[in-house]
Amino acid sequence: MDYFLIIDFVQSLLDGLLFGTTYALIGIGFTLIFGVMRKLNLAYGAAALAGTYIGVAATFAFDAPPPVVFLLSALGSGAIGIVVYYCCFRFTPTHYPMASLLASVGMLLFIDEVVIHASHGMPLPYPSVFREATIELGDIWVRGDLLFVFFICVVAMAVLFWLLYRTPLGLATRAVSQQPRAAALCGIDPTRVNLLTFGLAGILGGIAGAMTAAAVGVLSPIIAMGLTVKGLIAVVIGGLGSIPGAIIGGLLVGAAENVFLMLRGVTERDIYVMLLLFLFLTLRPGGLFGSTAGRD
Amino acid sequence: MLEIRDIRTSYGKIAALKGVSLEIREGGLTCLLGPNGAGKTTLIWTIAGILKAQSGSMRLGDDELAGLKPHQIVEKGVVTVPENRLVFPEMTVTENLVAGAFSRRRQKGDVAEDLDAVLDRFPRLRERASQEAGTLSGGEQQMLAVGRALMARPKILLMDEPSTGLAPIIVEEIFEIIGQLRDEGRTIFLVEQNANLALDYADHFYLLEQGHVTFGGDPATVDHDDLIARAYLGARKAS
Repeated sequence: MDYFLIIDFVQSLLDGLLFGTTYALIGIGFTLIFGVMRKLNLAYGAAALAGTYIGVAATFAFDAPPPVVFLLSALGSGAIGIVVYYCCFRFTPTHYPMASLLASVGMLLFIDEVVIHASHGMPLPYPSVFREATIELGDIWVRGDLLFVFFICVVAMAVLFWLLYRTPLGLATRAVSQQPRAAALCGIDPTRVNLLTFGLAGILGGIAGAMTAAAVGVLSPIIAMGLTVKGLIAVVIGGLGSIPGAIIGGLLVGAAENVFLMLRGVTERDIYVMLLLFLFLTLRPGGLFGSTAGRD
Repeated sequence: MLEIRDIRTSYGKIAALKGVSLEIREGGLTCLLGPNGAGKTTLIWTIAGILKAQSGSMRLGDDELAGLKPHQIVEKGVVTVPENRLVFPEMTVTENLVAGAFSRRRQKGDVAEDLDAVLDRFPRLRERASQEAGTLSGGEQQMLAVGRALMARPKILLMDEPSTGLAPIIVEEIFEIIGQLRDEGRTIFLVEQNANLALDYADHFYLLEQGHVTFGGDPATVDHDDLIARAYLGARKAS
């Protein structure tokens, strides 16, 4: 095989893996919410995007520096996550799962409309950092902005693991996702855990949204669909309910889309990524790390 | 200690408890017997707040428990060991026990002490302290469920069918533990299919049939065989 083709391939794979951490974060968010509520929040990607717009609003309002924009994007998305919880999940009947699912679809479209209206559908500049920096490893270049995206996402995951495995609230979250009834009998209030999980997942989504926009340097409403769909594919590949699965799934989606981009071009890229979804749903519906343990 | 008055609970239109009244006495083992489908587990879930009673009251001292959420009832000191144990399968034994103390998580030192005390009480759990609870045997999981409930420092311990799905020799072991807890002066409310064994340990019993308490008393003063026949078969009139 041609040397340059191999270099191109490795380069695409590397860029994809670095960027795939954003999909991993979105996947983790889907998985966390599914874990505690056994429900899919389809508004999640749109909420993450709307949060990212809150960060951009700060640049217009008071010319905020990039770190502040990133922080506001994350927190804004967390706040919207809580709103989504109250609108779509808190009061919908639990014995009718379609209610919350359809409510979240409605919310996805609603948030999308609001964002398009508020931004007039025009892409906005988003702060990007280390855009010019590259690290050269022989013929492979590691892009500084992608390395930054990777670093931030990995830090977010580390903080999440610390929260889940080293704090009482993390213990409560894991308890509710493993055995909700017993969690209540341990004095854990599932409603509070759900609320917290939506906030936390929202913050992760906001970080993913901010990093997606930072990697491209622009923020546009179409990012919502990408985040939603790629995040869902990440959890399907990894297995819904598994955090390590969401991480691996996210990295695989990132790598695969970049390799398809290199081989088939930008217009065809997502077609093949979508096909991955059907492939996994048909051949391995539980995903790579799907929890097979019997739950009630 | 816990006064239950005229509790009615139903599943949709089907009434499961049709006005249950009984008293759980302080410092002793009160046992609830009854055939399958009599409403025993429904009563436990109702006291624990998982199911809502349509009417009636449950008074613990000056506190009314009816209408409270499950976690609030735990905070009042009424703690349930559920049927089928319901341990957290992917958490270690230690984490399961710490989760049991969630309602008093702000008293850090005390939780560590209680953890040690529970592990002393159940040496088999200490051996498996860092193992995931899902890998334990049924008997060990039952011990873990009891230990988890003790971590909440219960005023009243509700136990729902602790013998379910366990080998007879393990059941005896579990009942010895229950006997120990009773001898320590704890207040226990035990729901049990295994009437034979339960009556050996009970200070007081009630018989629940078709959503009503039909009989109650001191196990020492009634004919066990007669009572056991009713508890198993649900015969309205024992002959």
